[in-house]
Amino acid sequence: MTPSFPSGRELTRAASLQGFRDAGLIILAYIPFGIAMGAALATTGVDPWLIISSSVVIFAGASQLAGIELLGAGAGILLVVVTIGVINARHLLYSASLEPHLADWPRGLRMLGAFLLADPVYALAIARFERPGGAGARSEQYGYFFTAGLTCLVGWTGLTTAGVFLGGLIPDDIPLGLAVPLTFLLLLLPLVKDTSGAIAAIVGGIVALVARGLPLGLSTLVGAAAGLVAGGLLFWWLHRGDPRGSEDDADAGPAHG
Amino acid sequence: MVDAIAILLGGLVTYLTRVLFLVSKKLRPPRSVKRYLPLVGPAVLGSIAIPGLIAPGGEIAFATTVPSVVAALAAWSAWRLARKQMVVGLVVGLAVWWGIFWLMGVVGWG
Repeated sequence: MTPSFPSGRELTRAASLQGFRDAGLIILAYIPFGIAMGAALATTGVDPWLIISSSVVIFAGASQLAGIELLGAGAGILLVVVTIGVINARHLLYSASLEPHLADWPRGLRMLGAFLLADPVYALAIARFERPGGAGARSEQYGYFFTAGLTCLVGWTGLTTAGVFLGGLIPDDIPLGLAVPLTFLLLLLPLVKDTSGAIAAIVGGIVALVARGLPLGLSTLVGAAAGLVAGGLLFWWLHRGDPRGSEDDADAGPAHG
Repeated sequence: MVDAIAILLGGLVTYLTRVLFLVSKKLRPPRSVKRYLPLVGPAVLGSIAIPGLIAPGGEIAFATTVPSVVAALAAWSAWRLARKQMVVGLVVGLAVWWGIFWLMGVVGWG
């Protein structure tokens, strides 16, 4: 009996389906936050269709919340754009982190993929690329990344729309507020593969917690920087005698250690 | 019109942060930094998740912090036991969280 191996098309379809499932679960967890955000933004006086379109154009909840609330309060364009830019500055780290994995993609697809690089899409993508078997052939990578990203984009826009038009009808005595931080915890866990990663996460979290009073969502940025320094220092110390330490190979990084 | 321009420019700035290191193979992170890039995920996601779990609603208080930390530990344990199935971790975490609130209501701590 000849063993039958799945064809490339079947593998791509399986990867796309997995991307849809993973992103769908995240959208489910985002239901309370997405609807609450849409409902809150609907009271700012900003055109509801602009609020909804911000979910497509910006596609980053915390910065949409801050930017549109500022617009509603009469702030100028410059302040709104700078606020959004500061809150989303962490995405610079995402593009740097994914670059080694997407280096072989055509430029057009890298630039298209960047549009979808919101927090959960990054977390799903990096976990997929760093799993033991990798992310598979190029077509499987495209299938997973773009299906997960588009599912998140469409789902997030749908939740914002529901919040804008129906938010006021939903009872607020159903406690769901922990769904989003729990989701991020579960997205974080597969990425912690060694002590340096654990220290980066713990220090990042504690510093962001202590800095939570900072404006413009800066606490996340400050926490991430502290976590990177702490985890990086530990990684450097643990590998200071390692001859690979002087190599220029990204594969020698902590996630593969 | 002003609102629409602000949102469009906000989207453009956001896109630039996401695309910067992906736009050209010449514009890559320095090689000495590349080894540390796998720490980006844990550092950023830890900065998002941990404050939300320890200080739900922005404040650290016994009545809210203890249930969410216990729920997080339950989610983590369930995720490990269920061979890293995210959905299991999420459902167990939320169920434990609601259960603790229910118990606190029963004993009059809520």
